[in-house]
Amino acid sequence: MIRVATDVGGTFTDLIAYDDTSGAVVFSKSLTTVDDQSVGVLDAIAMAEQSGLGVDDIGFFVHGGTTVINAITERKGVKTALVTTAGFRDVLEIGRGNRPDLYNLRTRTPAPFVPRHLRFEVRERMSASGQVLHALDEEDVARCARQCREQHVVAVAIIFLHSYANPAHEQQCAELLRKELRGISVCASHEISRQWREYERSNTVALNAYVQPIIRNYFDNLDAALHRKRISCAYYAMQSNGGIASFEQAVTAPLTLVESGPSGGVAGAARIGSEIGETDVLYLDVGGTTAKCSLIKAGQPKVDAEYRLEKTRSSPGYTIQVPVVDIVEVGAGGGSLAWLDPSGRLRVGPQSAGSNPGPACYGRGGVDPTVTDAKLTLGILDPLTFADGRMPLDVDRARAAIARVSLPMKLSVEQAALAIVRVAEESMSNALKLITIQRGHDPRDLVLIVSGGAGPLLAASLGRELNVKRTVIPTHPGIFSAWGMLAARPRADIRRTVLKPVSEGEMNSISQLFAELEQEATEYFAGTDTARLKFHRRAEMRYRGQEHSVSVAISGGTTRELLSDFHTAHQKAFSFAIMTATVEITMLHLQTEVLSEVIGLPNIQSDERNTLENALKGRRLVFLARENGWVACSVYDRNRLPIGSLIPGPALVEEPTTTTFVPSDQAFTRDETGQLVIWGETSMTRSEGEAA
Amino acid sequence: MAIETIKPAASFDPVTHEIIQGKLLSVVDEMAIVMTKTSMSPVIYEVLDFACGICNAHGELIAQTNGITLFTGTFGAQIRSVIDRFGTSIFPGDVIVTNDPFRGGTHACDFAIVRPVFAEDRLIAFAINVAHWLDVGGAIPGSLPPDATSIFQEGLRLPCVKIAERDELVESIVEIIRENVRLPDMAIGDLHAQLATVRIADLRLQEVVGRYGADTLLASFDQLLRDSENRASEIIRSLPDGEYIATDVIDGDGVNPLPIEVRVAVRIAGDSIEVDFTGCPPACAGPINCARGALHSAVKTVFKALVAPYEPSNEGWFRPLSILAPQGTLFTAERPSPTGWYYEGSVHASELVWKALAPILPERFSAGSYTSLCVTYIAGHDEAGELFVHIEPEHGGWGACHDGDGANALIALTDGDTYNYSIELIEAKFPLLVERYGLNVEGGVGAGRFRGGYGLVREYRVLAERAEVYCGFGRTITPPWPMDGGECGSVNYLEIVKADGNALKLGRSPARPVARGDRVKIVTGGGGGWGAPSDRAPAAVTADIESGLISREDAQRIYGRQQ
Repeated sequence: MIRVATDVGGTFTDLIAYDDTSGAVVFSKSLTTVDDQSVGVLDAIAMAEQSGLGVDDIGFFVHGGTTVINAITERKGVKTALVTTAGFRDVLEIGRGNRPDLYNLRTRTPAPFVPRHLRFEVRERMSASGQVLHALDEEDVARCARQCREQHVVAVAIIFLHSYANPAHEQQCAELLRKELRGISVCASHEISRQWREYERSNTVALNAYVQPIIRNYFDNLDAALHRKRISCAYYAMQSNGGIASFEQAVTAPLTLVESGPSGGVAGAARIGSEIGETDVLYLDVGGTTAKCSLIKAGQPKVDAEYRLEKTRSSPGYTIQVPVVDIVEVGAGGGSLAWLDPSGRLRVGPQSAGSNPGPACYGRGGVDPTVTDAKLTLGILDPLTFADGRMPLDVDRARAAIARVSLPMKLSVEQAALAIVRVAEESMSNALKLITIQRGHDPRDLVLIVSGGAGPLLAASLGRELNVKRTVIPTHPGIFSAWGMLAARPRADIRRTVLKPVSEGEMNSISQLFAELEQEATEYFAGTDTARLKFHRRAEMRYRGQEHSVSVAISGGTTRELLSDFHTAHQKAFSFAIMTATVEITMLHLQTEVLSEVIGLPNIQSDERNTLENALKGRRLVFLARENGWVACSVYDRNRLPIGSLIPGPALVEEPTTTTFVPSDQAFTRDETGQLVIWGETSMTRSEGEAA
Repeated sequence: MAIETIKPAASFDPVTHEIIQGKLLSVVDEMAIVMTKTSMSPVIYEVLDFACGICNAHGELIAQTNGITLFTGTFGAQIRSVIDRFGTSIFPGDVIVTNDPFRGGTHACDFAIVRPVFAEDRLIAFAINVAHWLDVGGAIPGSLPPDATSIFQEGLRLPCVKIAERDELVESIVEIIRENVRLPDMAIGDLHAQLATVRIADLRLQEVVGRYGADTLLASFDQLLRDSENRASEIIRSLPDGEYIATDVIDGDGVNPLPIEVRVAVRIAGDSIEVDFTGCPPACAGPINCARGALHSAVKTVFKALVAPYEPSNEGWFRPLSILAPQGTLFTAERPSPTGWYYEGSVHASELVWKALAPILPERFSAGSYTSLCVTYIAGHDEAGELFVHIEPEHGGWGACHDGDGANALIALTDGDTYNYSIELIEAKFPLLVERYGLNVEGGVGAGRFRGGYGLVREYRVLAERAEVYCGFGRTITPPWPMDGGECGSVNYLEIVKADGNALKLGRSPARPVARGDRVKIVTGGGGGWGAPSDRAPAAVTADIESGLISREDAQRIYGRQQ
């Protein structure tokens, strides 16, 4: 069987096809087609066919992309109405009223996705415990339907207070509207989220409705195109929670695709970790403008209950309630610009040269220095082999750009280039520390997996800075998100707001609720053999009086076990526990995974022709920090490296999409599955100790 | 290829400086994360009424995270009072607590926790965390009687007392706290959270010292302060020299309802700026006074908006600023004046400076806003007989800008990253039902070429058998000020509507009884307008009509043309 993943990015659409039986891999890369991304996907398939992909053998197809996030960021969703409980139509516009931009006396909350004249009120009311206080007024609903027709809206979202506790009124209203408004998308908030907080749930359902018709149309097109191609297996979409969903499931809740691409990489990192026997992984992906990192514990990425769309230091953005793998993003990537602030301090990012004009060394008109220019200046990038030799880089332009900051800093061009790299690495390592040390996880217990075109250039130094066990550059680091999608399984995250003390008396109702959630999950995966459903129960708990909860995996069903799991988690996260305080559960969280075969790692046969001598492409002068000067480094071809030899740095390892740099105090091997594993001095000693 | 090397400056290189500064900001961020995630009190986790920071050994601010602006300039004065008190008798592992308004603090509810940081056998820094505790004893639950006449009604004061010595908690102090507050579990829970934040800061600073050495760290502190000072001076130099005067009226002090006239003179000369409150009235009877520490913070907030709204805060920015105010005014109150509602006074000090500067730098300022946090307390007993205290600041309308309409429903200047309270959460927690939460269209906004933003209406129905309501609403008579020919905004008020229909309008008010079925209607004002209403673009007026923000008739009347 052949597994195919396609990942639509801003510039390119990547395809990777993996043959389960032979282990053969086929790639292709087409230009992303902006208007209808499915065209680019089909182009990529056609290109892969030329490289030997047989479409008849495709037994698994997964698709990730940016359609949802693009429709939102470009404000290209449909005309959407919102129906709310009477008295609350402005909740969506008011937001939370916070001013994160404290000292900007001209700040404002970003505009809502549904303007005031399209927000309609109906009389109905539930209490917090889900009791009906005021029955739904059906005439009000009929009036809303009329207004929707008059205004020619294309989608309607419904949000009633406390529908997370009792969705009856939302269901009734949705049914009436669906009857009255044929051909119009109708979404009720409880269908997407059963969590409390009315503003966040309003945003969730409004945005879901806003993109739904577009996404339905998009998946219909893609579905038809794939069928025309005679690809007749089941099609899946990559979700933001690190799992996959059928196209139909994705169309019901398109917002779950909001971080589709990045979550593919996270799924891939989890997969590589488990293949190499490491279930605790720190994953970093460095792209052109940003670096994204995630922590994977016990083989599972952390999945957040909320996603803060367009949130920045100065804007609250739009919070939505969809499960998204916890990704911390920093504005430092290969294209990030280096600049001097008014005090003469060297800064890197968050502005980026993007793909146009791109770094100065691309020769497309960029004049300001970027991280890529610094890497080229230092000799880490080869001007002739970049992007597989398709795009020669201009060293003189890179040096001229660096000189714009080196002169005012009174540094040599090389030292300024080193400084740029150091500052960029520092912001990435601060982000990596944020999700590890600051949350109570010791990096020495973790393996760092690094992907993205710009990642392997700095992976080894970051690994050393964090003192991780070892650093791994996976095979295909340049298209790792697509690869990761082949490692993802069908998955659902169902959350339910509850508010209960952890006490003997409540344990029955808690397990009852979990049983209901399992039933719901089973229905979601209808048609799947229930023996293949794997449930993970989690609960969010807090000390009574706290607002924020800690997510805890439930190891057993007794009060004692629950309490001890929570105290331990709280101690670990925040350095204290209050053993005497009352503990509350605020949310139940059921993760459901369908156990299915996913991509494996090939066992690479030793090939006698793959020797160190044959892999050595030559030597290149690299300006090294430790030596503070130019040093000749060996340059190797990754795919010709012998399996299992420990090779000392300094070294450069090249492959078509990227270059890995290994400094002089580290060493690396290519392991039997093809991963490039980098060892620091301490990790080498430690692992020898473990072996003995 | 030639190898060229230029040695960096002997002791200190700019890249290391940049990296250390990045680390310091992530340290204060980490402190804030721990605080919000573990706090037991809604004033902290919802309102973010806390701040964390690092100061140098002289008490000069180096790095800070704020959830709100009230603590923009309070750390220095508090740490200096710790230094004055203990001199050299502070040791590694000591932690000092202080909540005294007259020693650099704000009001007794704000507990500052200060931990000295030692490295290489010397004091190199202080880590500080200040957080609003929900109750610190005193006359009423919440410790903020709106009609207090003395600091002694506002709860327990601990003026620079060691709460830990060499990393051992001083149990007797903890006991004093426990016995003097109404919600001891919450208070001690928050104390633990605060202690954890300063401990983490200490640990992280030790890591920096371990890596770069204490000398480098201290050199980086100095460099940071110098750089910020230079940039602030440069901005002040670019402003026209002169004296800029603003006046305003505070609507009563909680005890005495009479208007209180306040004024400021801002003098810019070269690269220095002097803010002079001479001529303001003496401390008032009621609790809206602030002490000098809070005044400085209030002025620094607007100064920060002027010179560096987007940059991390540190003491260097404020070096060109001097603040003059005689002792004993309502902005420089002394013991035993009450200061419980200090932010209702200090916000006017901020707004005076804002109003004085707005005409010379319109690209940094908006017209007057609803100003007052309009804090509302609803307290009583729930069905189980347990005490509940619901406290919330209210969001309101902000003034128009020279190039756009004002913002709707934002939190007042004194707060910041402060969320409104989720209705679903309130109803799950308290015997209250929210019947409306929406834009205050009825009250309207200040008209203008650009109009003010809309305030809010929030209506509660009381479900408890009995409860009480008290509140501190300013700008109940004197509306938000306009700019450049615009019109004034609208006013704030709280109205209790009894089940029998009788209504009572309140501003700053002590506790009023309410019973099941009564309604509490909270109304915040719209912001002031900017520019003449007749210059408003017709399309903008039409859009407001379509959105239901203004009636066709009102639009006709205010904006003049046929709509």
